[in-house]
Amino acid sequence: MNILSKWILLAISLSPISSQRMLLNNMKSLSIFLLLISPIVVADEQQSWLGRIQLHGFASQALVFTTDNNFYGDSEHGSADFTELGINASMQLFPKVRAAGQLLSRHAGNMDNGSPHLDYALFDINLISSEKGRLGAYLGRIKNPIGLYNETRDVAHTRQGVFTAQAIYFDKVRDLILSSDGIQFYSEYFLPSGNLIFQAGVGYPIPDDNVEQAYLGQQWAGDLDSSKLAYVGRMMYEHDGGRWIFALSGASLDLDFNHQAADSVGPLGISSGKLNIDYTVLSTQFNGEKWQLTAELALQDVDYVNIGGLFAAANTKALGYTLEANYKFSPKWQAFLRREAFYLDRDDKYGHDFHAQSIQLNALFPFVPISPAHSSFSESWVVGGAWDITQNIMARAEYHTTRGSATLSPTENDIPSAKKDWDMFAISLSYRF
Amino acid sequence: MRNLLKHSLIIGCLIFAPNICAQVLIVHPHNPSTSLSKNNLRAIFAMRIPQWSDGSAIHVFVLEDSHPIHTSFTKHILGMFPYQLRRIWDRQVFSGTGIAPTIVKTSEEMRERVSKTQGAIGYLMPEDVDDSIKVIEGSL
Repeated sequence: MNILSKWILLAISLSPISSQRMLLNNMKSLSIFLLLISPIVVADEQQSWLGRIQLHGFASQALVFTTDNNFYGDSEHGSADFTELGINASMQLFPKVRAAGQLLSRHAGNMDNGSPHLDYALFDINLISSEKGRLGAYLGRIKNPIGLYNETRDVAHTRQGVFTAQAIYFDKVRDLILSSDGIQFYSEYFLPSGNLIFQAGVGYPIPDDNVEQAYLGQQWAGDLDSSKLAYVGRMMYEHDGGRWIFALSGASLDLDFNHQAADSVGPLGISSGKLNIDYTVLSTQFNGEKWQLTAELALQDVDYVNIGGLFAAANTKALGYTLEANYKFSPKWQAFLRREAFYLDRDDKYGHDFHAQSIQLNALFPFVPISPAHSSFSESWVVGGAWDITQNIMARAEYHTTRGSATLSPTENDIPSAKKDWDMFAISLSYRF
Repeated sequence: MRNLLKHSLIIGCLIFAPNICAQVLIVHPHNPSTSLSKNNLRAIFAMRIPQWSDGSAIHVFVLEDSHPIHTSFTKHILGMFPYQLRRIWDRQVFSGTGIAPTIVKTSEEMRERVSKTQGAIGYLMPEDVDDSIKVIEGSL
């Protein structure tokens, strides 16, 4: 126990002295190490350490069918390539220090191949706790508090449907905003009218190949790296025990693109530069006995600095929103209707200018395909339902009718030739404990 | 069959006389608390307060989401709905930011676990209370 507390004190006390980067680099190995040794060390204390561990997990399988375009695999022919598995543990090491970690395997068409990875691994250090509120910090790999659903978007039971609302929680660049390696502080105030909940911090984002594909159009020889700290935070007010929830959340991050010689070849070659991404989400929700109403709005501004090529002076201002009404017929049966919309450029919602520029570009450089206007937006109506077969098992079905292809992943579709109008039917069976 | 009869009685009572048959809050017999505010109770059952004021760990016990006693407790004492609590717990458990309460199957198990666990809190129907646990007031 002594060794363990010294380790943690060391980790905390080092932070103002050593560079943040060093600490954060060590954090991953430190947290894994501590997770491994802690049960052994604490067992010596002759207390029931087993009683202080909680294990939970989930498993979900979906089937996806689309009339056109691919979503989560070869869905035009029916795809079963959407499988999620996770297991997590939480352990109270000391009265004020808890450790938690989750392993996640996610198979999502061509976007994610299912290899298990560390979803989060953190220490929760509680500094102050009373009946009035609490204050503390998470250290390690932390899920980013964005919108109402980002942190648990991979757990079917905590989502609103088979998929997260793509207009807000884009799966094509999910890893970028999913989590970060760093520190986040939390403070909560339990007021008579409701709870005020803050969580904010800094950390290094975790971009993957999908991010490069989505923001830079293809896989380049160079790399997008995440050596700059990102800022993330959420303020939330839960009125009357959560009857009404209001939240403002966001992230701001810079990604450096380090080009290689091969990337600069030709008139549309690109060079080193950076991407600055600002992501803001406004959320509100009403939770009644039968009705649940949800509205979320996301603004995403992407600035391309010095990258050149097609991205010279590019600056996209995307907008997405979702409106949903959910009705509980009984504790076990519910149905919902949702409107989702996403616009790549909120000043050119239906992509007319975008399409015109694309034609001009094609005239100059015939090898650049013409992008149709509908590849810059996506509007859907979704109707669906859920059946809680038992407390832990849930079945879902939903039907989407969509105009536009902006939420499709370029790793699964040839975007310039993706169809404008397409429908989707999806079912899922999910378990969690 | 006995359980079915009991559940029907509870549901009947809750429909026709919700104030008379409200659940009572129970804690471990050594717990010094005598009453807890609604605000405080919401935070405790949402698993947002890890410790009692003396620093000892709080251990929360609940019945399953669809159990009529849980539904009624959540609705009438906490002023919430079971699905809201469930979402708060799930969000905490699956993001690593918190934990979930211990789920018990029956009132008997609730009474036994609360009576034997230091720092425990739970709820029961008044007729299921005995000397092994302490009843405290939840001010509305």
